[in-house]
Amino acid sequence: MNILKNILKIFLSLRTSIWLMLTLLILLFYGAFVMPLKEEFLNLHSEPLFQWLLENPLSITWWIWGAVLVVSLLAANTLLCSIESLIKRRSTRQLLLLIAPQIIHAGFLFLLLAHLLSSHWSFKGTTFVFQGTILQLPNGLDVIFDEIHIDLDRWGFVSGWSANIRYFREGRYVTGDVIQPNDPSFQDGLGMYIKTVQMMPFPAALVEVSREPGAVWALVGGVCFPGGIIILLIMKIIRET
Amino acid sequence: MQDSLISLLNNTHVPLAMIILSVVFYLLGYFRVFFIFAGFLLQALYLFSRGIQLGRLPIVGPHDTLFFLSASIVLFAIPSTGKLKNRRQFLYPLLMLSIVFMLLSLVYKPHDVPLTPLLKTFWFEAHIVLSFFSYALFSIAAILGGVFFIRKGEQIEILQYKIILTGYCLFSAGMIFGGIWAYLAWGTYWLWTPKELWTVILWLFYSLYLHARLRKWWAGKPSVTLGIAGFFIMMFTYLGVSLLMESSHAF
Repeated sequence: MNILKNILKIFLSLRTSIWLMLTLLILLFYGAFVMPLKEEFLNLHSEPLFQWLLENPLSITWWIWGAVLVVSLLAANTLLCSIESLIKRRSTRQLLLLIAPQIIHAGFLFLLLAHLLSSHWSFKGTTFVFQGTILQLPNGLDVIFDEIHIDLDRWGFVSGWSANIRYFREGRYVTGDVIQPNDPSFQDGLGMYIKTVQMMPFPAALVEVSREPGAVWALVGGVCFPGGIIILLIMKIIRET
Repeated sequence: MQDSLISLLNNTHVPLAMIILSVVFYLLGYFRVFFIFAGFLLQALYLFSRGIQLGRLPIVGPHDTLFFLSASIVLFAIPSTGKLKNRRQFLYPLLMLSIVFMLLSLVYKPHDVPLTPLLKTFWFEAHIVLSFFSYALFSIAAILGGVFFIRKGEQIEILQYKIILTGYCLFSAGMIFGGIWAYLAWGTYWLWTPKELWTVILWLFYSLYLHARLRKWWAGKPSVTLGIAGFFIMMFTYLGVSLLMESSHAF
């Protein structure tokens, strides 16, 4: 029982947070210098993180495993500290000042959840397509590329490109869409992206199909995190004036 | 009017004169605060005219980003030092830093080529603007940290904290906007590149600062030192990674 109490005490400590952050910093600092030197990291984008970690030797991946471990401990530390803070100071008059840091912490935890989901279940596939190409997607849909366009500005520079696509399920038309840079098409959890096009000798496009299961949670975390800081800043300003 | 402004800017002497005049005004800022406003007005005018010339925000390439950072430092330095006694003694080192970035921007050729379609989006522009605003605030915090060691005073340490907290908020928002842009452009909100990793290092470093400051041992000199050290990590994240390493953010 005492051991459990001591472990809980460690996780409820701000000192633990500081040490964990410092350790994570050192690991990432090492990784930032090593990553450009090892060619194994080049295909890290093309598969889920955990799959890549299992496929590559520990001598290269140890710092990422270490970072995953430290981040897990930091997540537990954040969660427990937030819960303790809410319980201890629940009778405070300045409720917003109490809640704001917890909103920031919740945002951080949502962002971690997003990365966890994407590191496990993300999917990415890239291929060249031509006008008339039919792609079979992992979600059971077929997509047909009808037309591939390229736009030039008045100086002859490429100003944009796009492709008209149609989705089919078991031969039946589902819907149509246009994909262009920064404007992908989403259908049944998969995103269809057009990366680049070439018109010679015939129109072709480099497309990517991707699934990011953590994207929604990343957005939730992305709203909570700065939202909490803004509330905190406003409360501090109000308190001073 | 727009065409005449563009033709005026195409004459290389006019932008150069604006920059030099701005530097002179900032140097004169030691004597009268009025000159600081005049110098900033010239910087803003230069940025505005580049925006008109390019038809977009001038925030791509080392020339424009260094100039934008230089102007952002003054933009935030003016209000953040407003309540300080002997304001000019705080403002002057900040102006010197702004001048250094402004002169450094002259080393690089302006990026006048139309942007790739992937960069033509609100999310990208917001990501860059917020990032450089936060860089400016982190720079101001570092300079204030230096002043703290010379002149002491709790007031400076508290101001440094507030500036870092504001910068941290903008930096976090910038990272999130960058994530949204990356998701819409590349299908993922996170890429394993040195720039992204350094961005997380910088963000984590300031998270560490904000948490460490809550502990007694770190309050005062140690936290001020962290505020100064953050500037060097920021500079490497911005210039070092972009110039030295292969990255999606390479200049």
